Amino acid sequence: MHCTIEDLVALRDGEGSVWARRHVEECAECQAERERLYQRVAQLKALPALRPSRDRWHAIRDTVVAERSRKRQRWMRSGLAVAAAVAGLMIVRPMLQKPVLADDLAKAKLQSAQLETVLRDYDSDSRVMSGREADLTAQLEDQIASLDGRLAQFGDSGFGDAQLVDLWRQRVDLMQQLMQVHVTRAKYVGL
Amino acid sequence: MTLSLSVPDILVARAKTGNLEALEALYRAFETPVYNLARRICRTPEDAEDVLQETFLEVVKSIGQYRGEGHLWGWVRQIAASKALMRLRAEKLRATDELIDEAAGAPPPSVAAGIDLERALEQLSAMSRAVVWLHDVEGFTHEEIAERMGRTVSFSKSQLARAHARLRRLLSPAVAGS
Repeated sequence: MHCTIEDLVALRDGEGSVWARRHVEECAECQAERERLYQRVAQLKALPALRPSRDRWHAIRDTVVAERSRKRQRWMRSGLAVAAAVAGLMIVRPMLQKPVLADDLAKAKLQSAQLETVLRDYDSDSRVMSGREADLTAQLEDQIASLDGRLAQFGDSGFGDAQLVDLWRQRVDLMQQLMQVHVTRAKYVGL
Repeated sequence: MTLSLSVPDILVARAKTGNLEALEALYRAFETPVYNLARRICRTPEDAEDVLQETFLEVVKSIGQYRGEGHLWGWVRQIAASKALMRLRAEKLRATDELIDEAAGAPPPSVAAGIDLERALEQLSAMSRAVVWLHDVEGFTHEEIAERMGRTVSFSKSQLARAHARLRRLLSPAVAGS
């Protein structure tokens, strides 16, 4: 009994059975068959390389370029969509915010006007104040005057602007502080 | 088949950035070995050319994933073998293989007169030819072949043995007849 081709292939790949290995060592016929197997594999490896008859690179390059172009277009479409969304937000958001700002502005202006009326009625110029109170009042009135200057620069063009609202709120705050100075003084001196 | 398959690292680095000139240089370096591998597995030259194209499209797409571990040709060869075997499976050649192997008992008269190894290879079933080529020439293990074929290791081993048995008969008709 000789080795089969399976036995010889397995032996070549280092997987043969003990029996097959021992048999090949002793059998000249199987040794010759194993040699033919080695020769055949060597001949397979030595076969000349087959070459394509057509150059496929141009087709590959065209496909790659087309794919890249499609990707760019997808990115551009995505980018445009994002840009449109951002632009939409920029347009819509102020529209949504304007009424709120306008309300705040109107409210600040009203508070400012009310405080101004109260202060005018109080007639602080004709009342006696300490030096410290007079200094504090002067500082606050200077700050209010400065704010009024900045508010005058805005004019009507800045209507609805958050910065304008902030300035009016600062004015209200300063007038409240001014009011507080007078109230505190009146409380202490009983005027 | 003796080909120089070494590729400069700088070329691979440029190819990874998507540079078309570098990618073409890679194509030129591996065009013949990829086609040769595909041609040994596929039935027709057109199929092999399609595998060549599919392989390089995959190379272009995935070159960024190549970490430089092992020779680049080894990586490209894995892709080529997968593409070729995928085509083989897609064509459902197994049914045809059965018929070819059944008829393999006796070599045709022209074979008896002696044919060269190239023609003997063509006489093998697609599966046997793919296994003998991938295992004995390209150096794939039975595990790798089985995985790519979607078959078992035993299947790969038996196909290899059948391939050699048939090649032996085709190349040595006198021995086969005795």
